[in-house]
Amino acid sequence: MKRILVVIAMLVAASLVLSACGGGAAANRLEAIKEAGVIKVGTSADYPPFESVDASGNKVGFDIELMAEIAERLGVKLEWVDMPFDSLIAAVQEGKIDASISAFNYTEERDQMIDFTDAYYNSEDAFTVAENFAGTIANPEDVAAYKVGVQNGTTQDTWLTENLVANGTLPEENLFRYDRVDQAMLDLQNGRIEVLMSDHVPAQALAKQLGGLKIVYHGVLGANGPMNIVIPDGDAELQQAINEIIKQLQDEGFIEGLAVKYFAE
Amino acid sequence: MSSFFSYIVQGTAITIGVTLVALPFGLVLGLLMALVHTYGGKILNRSAAAYSLLLRGVPPIVLLFILYFILSGRVVNLSPFWAGSLSLGIVSSAYQMEILRGALLAVGGGQMTAARAIGMSRLQSIRHIVLPQALRLAIPPWSNEASIVLKDSSLVYALGVPEILRRAQQLSATTQQPFLAYGTAALIYFVLVFATNRALDYLSERTKLPTHP
Repeated sequence: MKRILVVIAMLVAASLVLSACGGGAAANRLEAIKEAGVIKVGTSADYPPFESVDASGNKVGFDIELMAEIAERLGVKLEWVDMPFDSLIAAVQEGKIDASISAFNYTEERDQMIDFTDAYYNSEDAFTVAENFAGTIANPEDVAAYKVGVQNGTTQDTWLTENLVANGTLPEENLFRYDRVDQAMLDLQNGRIEVLMSDHVPAQALAKQLGGLKIVYHGVLGANGPMNIVIPDGDAELQQAINEIIKQLQDEGFIEGLAVKYFAE
Repeated sequence: MSSFFSYIVQGTAITIGVTLVALPFGLVLGLLMALVHTYGGKILNRSAAAYSLLLRGVPPIVLLFILYFILSGRVVNLSPFWAGSLSLGIVSSAYQMEILRGALLAVGGGQMTAARAIGMSRLQSIRHIVLPQALRLAIPPWSNEASIVLKDSSLVYALGVPEILRRAQQLSATTQQPFLAYGTAALIYFVLVFATNRALDYLSERTKLPTHP
């Protein structure tokens, strides 16, 4: 019996030593990713338009396309790991994945366990009107006095329905639901609606493109706010590398382009 | 629309795979523990009882997380599929142990005494007299456990294994048609459970002893 215990103890000790050296050559996670030539990124592909799967099972969405570009610029292949949203932080914390992009908002509680990159997108709501709009919108609730357009099924649609239509300040027949924001923008230009509620970034892009429109209010009502990529705690090199790429993509207008593609069309 | 169904159906192979690992693994472990509990000495008996009590008291998802997020990578290296399947097998072993223990007790002590009286060793008596009867008795309650494990296999999606239910969830989010997506998943589970139970009923019928009507 004693001999068996000694053997077990030695095996345990050996496995601990082995697992301790297992980590090996790479100095940090960024090095390890570059050495392996692949970055493992977790997402919860059930949150369109940020991340979802199409009918053939391919991942699509704003976050998906953005991360593909980031991996490209890191010079590595991208390997997706799909998990329920609840499991993602645990997976990053335990280093099962190198990063996670899933429309994460910064919170202090999360920051204690993992690290965030800089925000890659600030999801805000905006009210767009025609340049000759005569009314005033001091508070978001003031839009109830006008004919309001919104994209069907978006967080803005939910906000208007729950906050203005439900209590009767905005009559149902004055809320116009569109399939695409660019169509709604055209109706705004033509005067069929007076105010359009949409995502801020694509609203800016479309208003500039179409002309004769201005944004009178922007802020977080139904929107997600700033969104960040999640990486394991203390991986400063990886954080810095991704932050630099995010900065480039913002400067080049790449992210604005994605926002128009996914939040307005 | 057809690719919609085929995407969910593709998860079936994973669901069956997880079940085919978890159930036999749980059976071997459960049988061992049942024998230890029934015929072992005081210490073995107590440890087997504690094993069953502990595992039946812990939610399967917690064991999944422990095995994958905490132990895997430090002690052993397991893929999400194996970590998930083995955790479910370990949980199931505690339930299968109780099923088999019940069957062993149902055979009764008289059979053992009689076997020993004609000169069989303890091991021989278990192997040739008690177990063949007990395993037959265990089939009906075991088919219950089989369908539970089949449906619990959906828990592995917490580790990112894309089985039937996870795929249904994704398509529900994409298409905004939850009834269609979850309905498809429900149909697949029903067919699998139905087939499993019919197969086990058949096995039970075929192996029935004339002495146990």
